[in-house]
Amino acid sequence: MTAATTTLLDRLTPPDFTRTGEPAWMREDRTLAHAWLQANGLPTARDEAWKYTPLDDILATVFEPAPSPPHGHVDVATVDRLAGDHGGFRLVFVNGSFAPELSRAGPRPRGVVFGNRASLLAEMPGAMSAAFVASRDRSRFDGFQAINRAADHDTAVVLVDPDTDVVEPIHVVHLSVPGDTPTASHPRTVIEVAAGSRLTVIETYAGLSGRSLTNAATAIAVGTGAGVTHYKVQNEAAESVHVAHTTISQAAGSDVHSCTVMLGADIARNAVDVVLGGADATLEVDGLYLPTARQRHDNVVTVEHAASSCTSRQLFKGVIDDHARGSFSGRIIVGPDTVATDAGQTSRSLLLQPTAEADSRPWLEIFADDVKCTHGATVGRLDDEAMFYMRSRGIAESDARAMLIGAFVNEIIEGVRPETLRAYLETATARVGTHAQETAR
Amino acid sequence: MLSIRNLFASIGSTEILKGVDLQINAGEVHAIMGPNGAGKSTLSQVLVGRESYTVIGDVTFEGEDLLALTPEERAAAGLFLAFQYPIEIPGVGNMYFLRAAVNAVRRRRGVPELDAFDFLDLAKKHMNRLDMDPALLSRSVNAGFSGGEKKRNEVLQMSMLEPKFAILDETDSGLDIDALRVVAEGVQSLRSPDRAMLIITHYPRLLEYVVPDFVHVLSEGRIIRSGDRTLALELEAHGYEPSNETVPAS
Repeated sequence: MTAATTTLLDRLTPPDFTRTGEPAWMREDRTLAHAWLQANGLPTARDEAWKYTPLDDILATVFEPAPSPPHGHVDVATVDRLAGDHGGFRLVFVNGSFAPELSRAGPRPRGVVFGNRASLLAEMPGAMSAAFVASRDRSRFDGFQAINRAADHDTAVVLVDPDTDVVEPIHVVHLSVPGDTPTASHPRTVIEVAAGSRLTVIETYAGLSGRSLTNAATAIAVGTGAGVTHYKVQNEAAESVHVAHTTISQAAGSDVHSCTVMLGADIARNAVDVVLGGADATLEVDGLYLPTARQRHDNVVTVEHAASSCTSRQLFKGVIDDHARGSFSGRIIVGPDTVATDAGQTSRSLLLQPTAEADSRPWLEIFADDVKCTHGATVGRLDDEAMFYMRSRGIAESDARAMLIGAFVNEIIEGVRPETLRAYLETATARVGTHAQETAR
Repeated sequence: MLSIRNLFASIGSTEILKGVDLQINAGEVHAIMGPNGAGKSTLSQVLVGRESYTVIGDVTFEGEDLLALTPEERAAAGLFLAFQYPIEIPGVGNMYFLRAAVNAVRRRRGVPELDAFDFLDLAKKHMNRLDMDPALLSRSVNAGFSGGEKKRNEVLQMSMLEPKFAILDETDSGLDIDALRVVAEGVQSLRSPDRAMLIITHYPRLLEYVVPDFVHVLSEGRIIRSGDRTLALELEAHGYEPSNETVPAS
């Protein structure tokens, strides 16, 4: 184990600590996580999946556990401003702890349960145990995930019964409110959608200014023939570090659309890890990342075709300004004994300044023959010809830039529903491309 | 209206325009003909502010130093270029683009902006006259348009932006006879005593619809001959080599 691992671990609850009244599986989760960390430690720059993540910069900071309750003042207006109000239900967590006064958690419609783990444990201990133990088996661990489990904060939980159409979106908001010194929080979200059901879930990660580390874990299990639309918005404070891992497991005939938009943080790594575990499942996983200044945005996607006749599409687009760096690693694994796999991957980056950097890396591991797999990556600049054409029609240079950048990002956000989220993203992305121009003045 | 004196333009070490002089007054239509590579497109691009050229010389537009203006300022001042090869802009809607352009120019000219309804009315009126499918408004700018649709889209933009001085760079090339007639009528309808035009073409056919007051031959970066509209027919018959029948450019 490295010194950095020890530093982060020392600040967590010890593994043998038992909380009053907690069920055995909760303590087991922590024990397993600690054991995993003892054996494997944190990732290093030599790990392929962490190649573009500036781990040294992350680990150079000593992060204390985030205070709960937080020191700063957070009210509903703060949540609206940082995360938007997208109708439906909203579960708000501050520094990993549920904030019922900021949430809109009921009345629950028939067939769906949502809330925080701590309260739901009392209400339905059997269902909680089943959901959490099941999510344990599906997790592909890494050091940060293990720390998330070892820290064992409260968890956002959404459980949908079979054949239930959850009409309104469920919005899970994780806010970081750092103290005077750098603080870490380890938010966790567990979502289970049973066979034949449909759910739209929005995750927003945001925070108040100050140096903080958000180490997030989200697990989504999608049952047979179920459909899930998952949006994740990373809009953290400018000085923060965001490390997140979303695990999605899909049963036969399910369909998932997962879309991540990265706006904020100083350093952000977003991993999406999908296992297509049943035949005829379809997946679209999209991302948009917009680093500027000296931000680093790293996207790591893994799509594993573990069953036959599944279709997956990855589309990631980056607009990289100023001295920022954006990266995309897209891994496609096609398991042996599968047939009729259709997997595609596209990465497109737009560099707005000569000092901006983009990395794009396909990573294919194909162990079957009957596979259709396409991948393509482009890195480009704003089209001079198009710029001149627009300006020759009277459109100001800054507006022409905005229109071209808008056209580029719109491919990802135009289909976003609810409309309030699309509008929020349109507003948030409209500032793209203005930073370096402002600083140049 | 437009006065060009001793205009030089180059890209890198390649000189393209080598001392062009041209005076165009309000109400006049000038045609420029000439062999490929003579610098015709360069002249048009330089006039509307293409930044990839190094430009030396004097160009005034209504008394103002044109070369000191940005492309968007030139558009607002009343310059318009119908591109030889209109640019495709995937993802930017044609209607959004056209309205942004019209209102940007109106704003700079101090004229009230058009609201969505007035804009659409006006666009549809012009499109009807140009025999354009209204569906082209909801597509991306020029993306996947046929050659003829692109040229009509240029003339549509010109009609909407109401320039004082329009340059048409081979707007007639690649059009069939019917499309040429429609486009030419669109151009002709913009002719007025307070407007001028510069038409770059290889063929006299467009000039039968839009009859020029003056015809110039641009060759190797200079205007080598100037004459009236009969020069276009002579060039068609005899090529671009100078003869004694017309007056050399001053």
